[in-house]
Amino acid sequence: MADKKRRRADSDSDSASQPFKNLLKSDAQILKILKSVTSSSSSSTSKPLTLADLALSATCREVSDLSLSSVQSTIEALVLQLTHQILSGQGFSFTVPSRSSSNQLYVPELDRIVLKDKSTVRPFSHISSVRKTTITAKILSLVHQLCLKNIHVTKRDLFYTDVKLFQDQVQSDAVLDDVSCILGCTRSSLNVIAAEKGVVVGRLIFSDNGDMIDCTKMGMGGKAIPPNIDRVGDMQSDALFILLVEKDAAYIRLAEDRFYNRFPCIIVTAKGQPDVATRLFLKKMKMELKLPVLALVDSDPYGLKILSVYGCGSKNMSYDSANLTTPDIKWLGIRPSDLDKYKIPEQCRLPMTEQDIKTGKDLLEEDFVKKNPGWVEELNLMVKTKQKAEIQALSSFGFQYLSEVYLPLKLQQQDWL
Amino acid sequence: MESESPTETKKGKSKTPKKEKESILKQKSPAEFFAENKNIAGFDNPGKCLYTTVRELVENALDSAEAISELPVIEITIEEIVKSKFNSMIGLVDRERVDEELYDDYETAKAREKRLEKEARAQEIQAKNAALGKKVKEHAVSKSSKGRGEASFYRVTCRDNGRGMPHDDIPNMFGRVLSGTKYGLKQTRGKFGLGAKMALIWSKMSTGLPIEISSSMRGQNYLSFCRLDIDIHRNIPHIHLHEKRDNKDKWHGAEIQVVIEGNWTTYRSKILHYMRQMAVITPYAQFLFKFVSDAPDKNVTIKFARRTDVMPPVPVETKHHPSSVDILLIKRLIAETSKQNLMQFLQHEFVNIGKPLAERLIGEMGPEFSPKMAVKSLTDQQIVRIHQLFRQAKFDDPSGDCLSPAGEYNLRLGIIKELHPDMVATYSGSAQVFEGHPFIVEAGVSVGGKDVKQGLNIFRFANRIPLLFEQGGDVVTRTALKRISWNNYKINQTQDKIGVFVSIVSTKIPFKGTGKEYIGDDISEIASAVKSAIQQCCIQLKSKIVKKMQAREQQERKRNLSKYIPDASNAVYNVLQEMAKSHASKKKRYEEGDADILQKVSDHLITKETLYEKLTQHVEKVDYEMALEYATQTGVREEPREDIYLQSLDGKGNFFDFHSPIFVFRLFL
Repeated sequence: MADKKRRRADSDSDSASQPFKNLLKSDAQILKILKSVTSSSSSSTSKPLTLADLALSATCREVSDLSLSSVQSTIEALVLQLTHQILSGQGFSFTVPSRSSSNQLYVPELDRIVLKDKSTVRPFSHISSVRKTTITAKILSLVHQLCLKNIHVTKRDLFYTDVKLFQDQVQSDAVLDDVSCILGCTRSSLNVIAAEKGVVVGRLIFSDNGDMIDCTKMGMGGKAIPPNIDRVGDMQSDALFILLVEKDAAYIRLAEDRFYNRFPCIIVTAKGQPDVATRLFLKKMKMELKLPVLALVDSDPYGLKILSVYGCGSKNMSYDSANLTTPDIKWLGIRPSDLDKYKIPEQCRLPMTEQDIKTGKDLLEEDFVKKNPGWVEELNLMVKTKQKAEIQALSSFGFQYLSEVYLPLKLQQQDWL
Repeated sequence: MESESPTETKKGKSKTPKKEKESILKQKSPAEFFAENKNIAGFDNPGKCLYTTVRELVENALDSAEAISELPVIEITIEEIVKSKFNSMIGLVDRERVDEELYDDYETAKAREKRLEKEARAQEIQAKNAALGKKVKEHAVSKSSKGRGEASFYRVTCRDNGRGMPHDDIPNMFGRVLSGTKYGLKQTRGKFGLGAKMALIWSKMSTGLPIEISSSMRGQNYLSFCRLDIDIHRNIPHIHLHEKRDNKDKWHGAEIQVVIEGNWTTYRSKILHYMRQMAVITPYAQFLFKFVSDAPDKNVTIKFARRTDVMPPVPVETKHHPSSVDILLIKRLIAETSKQNLMQFLQHEFVNIGKPLAERLIGEMGPEFSPKMAVKSLTDQQIVRIHQLFRQAKFDDPSGDCLSPAGEYNLRLGIIKELHPDMVATYSGSAQVFEGHPFIVEAGVSVGGKDVKQGLNIFRFANRIPLLFEQGGDVVTRTALKRISWNNYKINQTQDKIGVFVSIVSTKIPFKGTGKEYIGDDISEIASAVKSAIQQCCIQLKSKIVKKMQAREQQERKRNLSKYIPDASNAVYNVLQEMAKSHASKKKRYEEGDADILQKVSDHLITKETLYEKLTQHVEKVDYEMALEYATQTGVREEPREDIYLQSLDGKGNFFDFHSPIFVFRLFL
């Protein structure tokens, strides 16, 4: 079977125009390599550390999933407290955990960003905070309604309940994260979801709200990742790895070529910066299926940044990093060293802008990059050569070079960091 | 020749015409050169010529008045002369056109048809618009394109109260290009001895009329009158009339009158801008600008009144800084010096070389040099050696004492007077050095004002003259646009009316290009001095702006806080109401204090209005407390006072004095 496939691939394209093709071993051999990797990785997984294990729970803040009724009673307790304050003529104020970057801490043992314990007081009677305080009160009352009615709404819905007050969805979204922190629950527990963004395709079967979904039979586009992770369960898979793709274009290429049939895998993308649902979904897959996660991102600072958001969490939502981060993601490509290794032609590389270089240098200062010497080396190379390239740069060798040569070769050589 | 090989033919051919044409070696007088390349001096087209003429005359007048420390009073008049009047002036009879088709503006039958058609259409549209009740602007009478024959002529007169000129020097001062009194190393407006002469050359080229000069010096009992033009080929004055007249009212100064071709319509705004900016940088001068024509509605009269009698000191002539001289200049200095030996020459002809340094320098030059050697006997090689040493040795920077900046006071006054801004800050930098020439950068930044457009309005001055052209490449424009982050100073670059004034004075302004129009952006010393001067102004403004914003915040605090009371009380009350419901239906149990509140909510004892009132009371209390705190912190502040300038009255009129115990009120009749 593998031979047959190989012959077909050969007849499709000329090996001269697709460099390194001759280095490829047969699919069966590659599969064998992959299987050995997968089995060793799944056996080595242990129970993840928590803040309590490191005796950091006093100085760091973390939220947890709360049931609807406990969210409701937390809100009610808070509102009663506010009412007491108002009736005593003192106005009212919220104590909001600070989400500024100075209040973030990267914990190497956990390999993720957590929130420290600094808080700011948000009083109503101050000109600089009156707006945010009012919006916070409004969001609290809206979430309270959601709890009573037991329904889910999107962030956009929430914004449209009072456009005049919120002015801009960015503001209501930011306060929503504040409310999560105040109540000490995850954002999903507030019954507020974001619109679907991520998609998944490949060797995965799971139940969505009771319906069984087979991701190999979802057509070319794959299955949209459900915004509400509570609905997802019963994950089964015979995949050997999870392939995380930054860009939609590369995802479509792999999905159409049915890459997951040649090498059993699950392909996921969030089309750029990952949303909460995709991150939760990836985490769940990793935890339940115990598969290695390989990332295919652009060779630029933003590619690595996206990778780090999956791996260590974003600063904006560090309060929930325990649920949102997927440990041990490997950087498969496109890495700065690949540009020369795979002889990507000059015309497909782009010069980095001043901003790019600055972002790259800033990344070098980040702890989550420093902990991985391989990444530091690659990033140094990028900043030094001042060149970047997108995944699509590989299309210069033919549109299917990515799925037929580059990825198989990478897998065969176990070339990930 | 044709039978010869091609290479030789080429050679031969190229040689023959060369020999024929270039065998006569021609020489050009400086006047001829500038007549042919008048754009170098800013005489590009008739409009610009009019502008430059005005500019040169005004600047000469200012220099002249300042030279004798007299507060300048300058009158400049531009009189339009129509063609018929011009012709009668020069004694040319107006002739009717006989052969109409000969002229460039002759309208052929076809063109006429086209024009009539177009006019008819325009009228139709106008009638339609009028019928619809639309407001139409008066349709301008279609201007016939100005042919070259339709030139307009102007008589430009400039009268000042300056030093005047010695009777015998007048012809040479106007009739000889590149002769002047301002060649020394000194901060002056003019530099090359070109301005007034270029105006004369232009008048000779365009109208053929001579220039007329009246002048008298202080204490002189006669008035010199001179009518002259210039012999361009020989670069010498050609005197028509040169006589002494009575000086009845003891006037001193100069009045220069020249008739030139120009274009008032297109350069009107430039000329007025120039006068306005000149008034900004020289608030101690009084300008009267008049434009006179046959059409009274086009006439302009603007008086820029004097606002101060504090004048910057007269710039003093200084000696050269050793690092700024070249070989030619050293040779000239040697030729001109009165000192005998090398030691004295170094000490006296340069700044910043004292006796010990001169000794060390001579020691360093080599064994063939000695302090006592005659300076005039230096060989060419030895001079090169001196030049090289000057380049490499370290000297103290020249001081800025020889410069005469406008001064913060004058700059500030000028800005306030002409722009009436809401806020203004000025800064005067210390002297810095570029290639051995000291320079001082002064800056002013204003916010708001009348007749100021939104965004950045940039005013540039070099040696106290406004620069109007080539704004895009100038160091000031670029710095203000690109290198100042206005946001940091709470200034909105696009919304606020910002005035940026930068005045640079130096013994040598490094102008870019041929005209004295702009200073390049490539001199890092000047660029950084400009940047820091503007920043210093912005820092001063920032504290003012922040205070203003705080004051505004004080006033609007209550309103801004109260605005949110309904939303906040609604949000809290909605949750309370839901809780009260479940409390009433005994779904949930609450602690005593809380249960009490929920009960009151159910009984309508606590309503939305209760919360609203409580919050309103709280806001009022907070507002009162904050206002009190603000008042105690800031105290009673007074705006800085500014001196007002009262113009002195001339003449001793009749007056009455009304006496009171504390003051005298004087009424002039």
